[in-house]
Amino acid sequence: MHEMPKIFVGGIPIDISAVLMLLISCTVVFVLVMLSVRKLSVENPSKLQNFMEWVVEFVEGVVSSAMDLKKGKPYISLGLTLILFIFVSNLLGLPFSVVTEAHGPVTVFGHVIEATRNLAHGDHVEILWYKSPTADINITAGLAIIVFILMNFLGIKLNGKHYFKHYIEPFPIFLPLNIIENLAKPVALAIRLFANIFAGEVLITVILKLGILSIPFLAVWQGFSIFVGALQAFIFTILTMVYIAQMTIHEEEAH
Amino acid sequence: MEIVWTNILFSIVAFGILYFLLSKYAFSKLFAVMEKRRELVMQQMDEAAKTREQAVAYVEEQKQALNSARQEAQQIIQQSQITSNQQVEQALAQAKVEAARVKEEAVRDIENEKNKAVEELRSEIGTASVRIASKLLKKEVSASSEQEQLVNQYLNEVGGRS
Repeated sequence: MHEMPKIFVGGIPIDISAVLMLLISCTVVFVLVMLSVRKLSVENPSKLQNFMEWVVEFVEGVVSSAMDLKKGKPYISLGLTLILFIFVSNLLGLPFSVVTEAHGPVTVFGHVIEATRNLAHGDHVEILWYKSPTADINITAGLAIIVFILMNFLGIKLNGKHYFKHYIEPFPIFLPLNIIENLAKPVALAIRLFANIFAGEVLITVILKLGILSIPFLAVWQGFSIFVGALQAFIFTILTMVYIAQMTIHEEEAH
Repeated sequence: MEIVWTNILFSIVAFGILYFLLSKYAFSKLFAVMEKRRELVMQQMDEAAKTREQAVAYVEEQKQALNSARQEAQQIIQQSQITSNQQVEQALAQAKVEAARVKEEAVRDIENEKNKAVEELRSEIGTASVRIASKLLKKEVSASSEQEQLVNQYLNEVGGRS
């Protein structure tokens, strides 16, 4: 089992690999998007601009499948950021990962990595530095929490009393059930994304143990992982839009 | 798998910053360009429709012009036919008149010639008869005007009878 390179800075735990991977992922997405909008042209778009416009149109399709596109306009940027960030994050861990073996205490920036503290003599730990950021449940949980806060905030702001009324429908006795339903949404989002990507990386590690035989299996699984990465990014985005639509749009016929 | 609350916080902050930066510096511009392209396409389609309408109107106009030109040509041909017929008739009438005139002139000439011939003949006969008479009578007949007048009178009586 790989350990995370966690250090304590003034009592605050910091996972260096998570910080590193978030930085890489955000940078890749940012650079990609900035390159695509570098030379914007109405009549003669570059290839990257064409690609980015295709992504925008794709996200518009996703948003319009969940809600009226007029109401969904402000969420297109959110959906774009989500889908690009998650897709890039999912793919980052596919080509390789960086693991170091530690036989004694390892220090980073003058702080000891927790997993390497108090190692018995002859024991060792493997520290995972480079992986998909979305293969860490903390990061997918962070994304899911953003979605959870956003959808409830938008629900209260745009839907008013119907938002609260929704919790006691169809009967007041459904209140706990409705609360669980609401809470289950971000949990499901976080775990679905994390489990898919984490399982993919675990399977890559397992396949690699086959040695030279692993090449065909690895090729197939890497290809499939790209598909899974795209699919999970798509699912996360469309579910976000569906949840926001559920919370913000008051359906007259339902009452 | 281990829950590290700072990781959750970091991911929220990182995503928030990414969202802010992208929507401020990239997506707004991209959306504006896409909107502009949409407007451009709409405008071009409008223009194309307008141009097509104009073309249809122009073709219609051309058709009308062609029709009127054809009619005009027809009219001109008809008119020229009428004119030529008239001219032929005129020429015919003129020729007839000319022919009649020539004929009349000829008749008059013949008459004149005939009269002249008769006159000449008469005078010749007069002289001849005088000579004959002088020879026959073996008589000196003077060629006085008195006698000649007499002969002429006589001949006139003869010519007038004939």
